[in-house]
Amino acid sequence: MQQHAKGRPLPLWLKSGRVQTGLVIIFILVVCAIFAPYLAPNDPNEQNLLSILTPPVWADGGDAMFPLGTDSLGRCVLSRLIFGARVALTVAFTASIGAMIVGAFFAHVAGYFGGWVDWMIGRIVEIWLSFPPVILSLILMVGLGTGLRNVVLAIILVDWTRFCRVLRSEVIVLRRRDYVSAAQLIGFSHWRTITREILPGTLPLLITLMSLEMGVAIIVEAILSFVGMSVGSETAAWGQMIADARQNIYEAPFNLIAPIFAIFFAVFGFNILGDGLRRTLDTRLTQTERT
Amino acid sequence: MRMFATIAKLLVKRVLTAIPILLLVSALLFCILRILPVDPAAMSLPPNATVQEVEAMRTEMGLNLPLYQQYGIWLNKLFHGDIGRSIHFRQDVTSLIGSTLPATIELAVIAMMVATVFGLAGGLFLFYVRGTRAEAVMDFVSILLLSLPEFLWSLFLLLIFGVFFEVLPFTGRLSPGFERPLVTGFLLFDSLITGNIPTLLNALQHMILPCLALGIALSPSLMRVLRSSLLDAYQDDYIQQARLRGLSEKRILIRHGLKNAILPTLSLMGVQFGFLFGGTLLVEIIYSYPGMGNLMVDAIRNADLPIIQGAGLTYCVAVLVISIVVDSLYLILNPKLRVR
Repeated sequence: MQQHAKGRPLPLWLKSGRVQTGLVIIFILVVCAIFAPYLAPNDPNEQNLLSILTPPVWADGGDAMFPLGTDSLGRCVLSRLIFGARVALTVAFTASIGAMIVGAFFAHVAGYFGGWVDWMIGRIVEIWLSFPPVILSLILMVGLGTGLRNVVLAIILVDWTRFCRVLRSEVIVLRRRDYVSAAQLIGFSHWRTITREILPGTLPLLITLMSLEMGVAIIVEAILSFVGMSVGSETAAWGQMIADARQNIYEAPFNLIAPIFAIFFAVFGFNILGDGLRRTLDTRLTQTERT
Repeated sequence: MRMFATIAKLLVKRVLTAIPILLLVSALLFCILRILPVDPAAMSLPPNATVQEVEAMRTEMGLNLPLYQQYGIWLNKLFHGDIGRSIHFRQDVTSLIGSTLPATIELAVIAMMVATVFGLAGGLFLFYVRGTRAEAVMDFVSILLLSLPEFLWSLFLLLIFGVFFEVLPFTGRLSPGFERPLVTGFLLFDSLITGNIPTLLNALQHMILPCLALGIALSPSLMRVLRSSLLDAYQDDYIQQARLRGLSEKRILIRHGLKNAILPTLSLMGVQFGFLFGGTLLVEIIYSYPGMGNLMVDAIRNADLPIIQGAGLTYCVAVLVISIVVDSLYLILNPKLRVR
């Protein structure tokens, strides 16, 4: 490993180009979300009914006041795009952490204790998987009602199985290791064995899955707000922008491209980060597969 | 013969496990939708109904009974083929689902074919370029593709082929003015057996974009699984044996590699195809395609509980059927079961 000029060398995972690309993309989005009021040229909810569906600034008839044009209510597309990052990232971070906690808990319990506990959790996951995720999240939103908190809750309730299925088999492998038996022989409690001996082993996989889940959460939120089952109309969200642009596809095709690109950009960032982490953190991959 | 016995055994076992799953799913659906703050009784009456009338309706609809009794009544009706009447459309839910389900099935089946073709071709290509510089590029492209769900693909294709180039239609199932043969409800099938070629061609045109969107969105995960299964298969001795026998690389790939790599790919496809069936919902909305997805979203916007329950359950049945079909296919293709 090459020594950095000063100080400690970069950890292996940070050297991966994929991880770096992902982190840069996420950093840009986080900056947009946090500093949205300073970055956005206009108020995202301000309606300018005199200039609706104006094209972006480089096209004929574009207005420098609205760099990416306006939607059917005359709201600034660029400002809504920037503010939309807030909803997307809030959902991405909170929902994936929630789904991870629930999924990881059941995965560790199922894998560690085995027997009827494992059987029960396995059957619950099976029931969940017989629902297409989109359908289940829509039905949950009907039951819970719209709003940011309920979107997060619905995604957690749908996607915990993603973590549970994958992590469970990892836990089963790890619990057969000698050091786990040793810990049990010393008299560690179950809780302590799981958190101190097994969890460090599943952590790389957990982090990778979480990164991928953030991308999934952004898509699900976009889908829900596209059908009008996410945050209220007073909050800008990318899915809503798509729904609005779909209605005026001939007059303002660019309005559709902007939010599509934003969603793709964000999901790609999380996916490439996840892929990079998987390659560098997974101890079972060979050196050649990593590069 | 042994193969048929094994498949029959699997089918029986899978159908038997599907029953408790469906029961639990229906109970889950029932509970989720009963937390709703809307009152189905008040909704099915005119707005000027008195409190007494609403109360009478509640009793008539059984809404005053405990939840488990309501579920029991609903389940009993379900077994008799009655899943209630739509509050909004004032029609039987069974007939509403019956008229929209064929459209969704057609969409899903053709999309699965598209996904299989793209997945196979892409997977073989990914494997073919292994170890070359093109692999890194292709790997990157496959992550790019994975970041575009069917939802974005449909909008993207619609924009390019529907709006910018105006080469393909992107709303509904048929252009206005085309005759609609009604035999089974499966438009492609019906127009084929009645020999109505113009309708068939027009319907196919309408299906190109939605099916491409669904198929392309699913293919990258198939590509990646096929590639890694091929890499696994190539670790085995029989590949080396085949090389020593002087077979061409192409023959080795098709006759030995692919034959062994297809099974693990197939077992993944069961789950993926189930998800694809759910993905039709969004594609249907974007292309205004009159299938179950549009029915479901209409029902959600109108808080039409009987339809939401019925359609939700139908989606689950579809997922279970798909996974049983794929599992049977797995058994049929597995050569280890052909040994006496």
